[in-house]
Amino acid sequence: MRRKTRTGALLMALLLGIGMLSGCGSEQTDAEPPETPEVSASAETEAAEDAGEEAQAAAPDISEEVTLTMYLIGDRPVDNDEVFAKINEKLKAEINATIDVKFMSWGEYEQKYPLIFASGEDWDIIYTADWCFYNAQATKQGFWEITEEALAAYAPMTAETIYPEAWEQAKVNGQVFMLPMNYKEITSYVYMARGDLMDKYGIESVASLDEAEVYMDAIVANEPTLIPLDVGSDYDKLFVFDRMWEKANWESEEKVAAVGTWQAMSSVSELDDSAEVKGNYDQAQFQGVIERLKDWKDRGFWSRNAVVNTQNNTESFQAGKSALALCNVNTAKSIYAQMSTEHPEWDIRVFDAQDGVPPVLNSYLANGMSIFSKSRNPERALMALDYLRNDVEINNLFCYGIEGKHWEASGDHALVSLPDSANYAYDGNCNWGVRNDASWRVVEGGIPGLEELNDAWKESARSRRYQAFVFDDSNVKNEIAAITEIFNTDYKLLGLGFTDDPEGDIAKLKEKMTAAGADTVYAEMQKQAQEFLAANGG
Amino acid sequence: MKKTRHPFLRDLRDNRVKWLMILPAAVVVILMCYVPMGGIVLAFKEFNYHDGIFGSPWVGFKNFAYFFQSGKAWTTTRNTILYNIAFLCVNTLLQITCAILLSELAGKYFKRITQSVMFFPYFISWVVVGAFIYNMFNYEFGAVNSFLRTVGMEPLDVYSNRAAWPVILILVSAFKNVGYGTVMYLASIVNIDGEMFEAADLDGATMWQKIRYITLPCIRPTVVILFLMAIGTIMKGDFQMFWQVTGNNPMVLEVTDVIDTYVTRSLLDLQEFGMTSAAGLYQSGLSFILVLIANYAVKKVEPDYALF
Repeated sequence: MRRKTRTGALLMALLLGIGMLSGCGSEQTDAEPPETPEVSASAETEAAEDAGEEAQAAAPDISEEVTLTMYLIGDRPVDNDEVFAKINEKLKAEINATIDVKFMSWGEYEQKYPLIFASGEDWDIIYTADWCFYNAQATKQGFWEITEEALAAYAPMTAETIYPEAWEQAKVNGQVFMLPMNYKEITSYVYMARGDLMDKYGIESVASLDEAEVYMDAIVANEPTLIPLDVGSDYDKLFVFDRMWEKANWESEEKVAAVGTWQAMSSVSELDDSAEVKGNYDQAQFQGVIERLKDWKDRGFWSRNAVVNTQNNTESFQAGKSALALCNVNTAKSIYAQMSTEHPEWDIRVFDAQDGVPPVLNSYLANGMSIFSKSRNPERALMALDYLRNDVEINNLFCYGIEGKHWEASGDHALVSLPDSANYAYDGNCNWGVRNDASWRVVEGGIPGLEELNDAWKESARSRRYQAFVFDDSNVKNEIAAITEIFNTDYKLLGLGFTDDPEGDIAKLKEKMTAAGADTVYAEMQKQAQEFLAANGG
Repeated sequence: MKKTRHPFLRDLRDNRVKWLMILPAAVVVILMCYVPMGGIVLAFKEFNYHDGIFGSPWVGFKNFAYFFQSGKAWTTTRNTILYNIAFLCVNTLLQITCAILLSELAGKYFKRITQSVMFFPYFISWVVVGAFIYNMFNYEFGAVNSFLRTVGMEPLDVYSNRAAWPVILILVSAFKNVGYGTVMYLASIVNIDGEMFEAADLDGATMWQKIRYITLPCIRPTVVILFLMAIGTIMKGDFQMFWQVTGNNPMVLEVTDVIDTYVTRSLLDLQEFGMTSAAGLYQSGLSFILVLIANYAVKKVEPDYALF
């Protein structure tokens, strides 16, 4: 009897719980805010259209003061608030808005970036890029669409100055969600080596894979406390592979080049007009590259437990744990001065790591700014971006800091960094999305010989044939998910040379990829690539 | 009129104090466990930020396909279950052994100190344990390998050796959890009626006989309850442990990947909330079935100890 009442009570408690749950559930559905933004969004579009028609006649309504929240990636520079106080002073006067900057550090941005979209937090502007979730968030409706009308109404300076190619590149299914940087950038890689060690072992230069091999051999043989090149973190697992792979591709007869999503491991011959997409593992030169990587790994050029590294190779180099760093030239620029002051005895030397491969002329989408789809003031955010991009004073403040404190002009297109720039580094505050060729200044001094290298790179730099091609994966989402897992495990392991039998492991990789549906993905990619070629005149 | 009233309402009135007492716990469970369950719908949706969780379009079972297509469903399920069974057996055995040993020990201070020392690892974060492991087994500069080199032996390459990881994981799990469980078993041993031991002494029982015929049967209810509670979490990998201790090492994922780490990894790599919720729901579903089976089995053998 007693037992029975207890069960009854338990059941009742459960029922009660379910009742409350369903109550909460429906309440939640009702309270979910999608309705509201939708209404206001359509109202806004109408407003935008109206404003577009009357752009000349009536200026946008800015009577209400607003604070815009802007997310940047990186750590807050010491003088950030001081710089933004000056920016806000001017923005307040021009558009009656101020910007409040929030940061997410490099260590956490991959986790945090998608979360702030989902969290329901109130914010307006964010840094984005093709490598930084642009496509992913755009297809999930994370960004506010920037229409040509809105651009004309709220960002007239941008409407006038934006490169038409940049605007075209930013389109995702025909809609634009980002203002890409107005800046032509090339990405090229450099080695940073220890001059003291080079002199000690009689090494003249580390400017190619072969020379790097000789240098690292000397380190392995004579410096047991140093790891030659400490790659292997999530950030640089494929750095060495990329150097070798790019070189092999550039030297291949078919001029193989990457196409589509990075994780899909897909490539295509640039000479092939039918755009036949293959897995990298199906390209003839792949095995040779993996064999060389295995050889380097076996000789101890990087750690045997490189795959669990948490520090990237540049950090390790800075900490004096390794003898060579491989990084892109911007990273080298930003750490060179500091390292030379802290460790003059290391005699850091910088060499070209392109090894004959023309550097890539970046797509404009490599940096940009977007507006959150649930922003309460998307028009004002767009106006603020207009000023950040095009107003010379504001743009200079954001990019280089305060004139006279952090930098000093040197002619119209150059500047000299002042000692205070340690607290607001040149081009270092995630300002890359608003870089503008019209007001750009290069920094004078810095790495010796870099200017000659830069000139050479600029001369040889090229856009790849499929650079602006954006793969729409909505038809093959499940396959891409399965492939990404393979990319992050098997492929990256091969890319660090962790294999005892390159041929066998490549065959296994291919088998797994086929099972995961790679053929479907590549067929879809080929179809889209052909459409892309047709649309862009081949 | 009063007699025909609903029995639940009557119960509510008769036992209002008891109902009041259960209220706080019920509220917590409902708020923390039942309300978030609404998120399950995510597994059947193609999530976008604009429409939110409940407004996004339905896609049926499409999200589940990826989990099976990636070929990971079987490996991760197998790893999760096998590891948990191993942890459960090894830890329970060690915990009971330690508890009995400690209870038989005479020195009061020695007993107290041992107990505290064993309990201590329970408070260490897995991040720290992960760092221990890395500094011990790092190929170039790790403690173990440095030692092996000085005595002239070949260093071990632990981070690419699959066979090593099940052993390491079982050991660190024991390292962290044995102390905690020991204290629980010790408490139930202390509660055993002392007269039984005295009677056994008079009858001339040896220490082994006392353990075999008094201690073990008396702590059986505790063992069964703790075991049942552990069965409920058997589909749940200890995420912190698997993530931190292995350093998310792709070389050995085949033997260290559990459902929880797989879900986290794909969420970070893909940002596909729907797909990862689907994997999570699959895990919960299996978990639920396992609890039902375990409870049914216990009911057959020991009806008094079943949970429901």
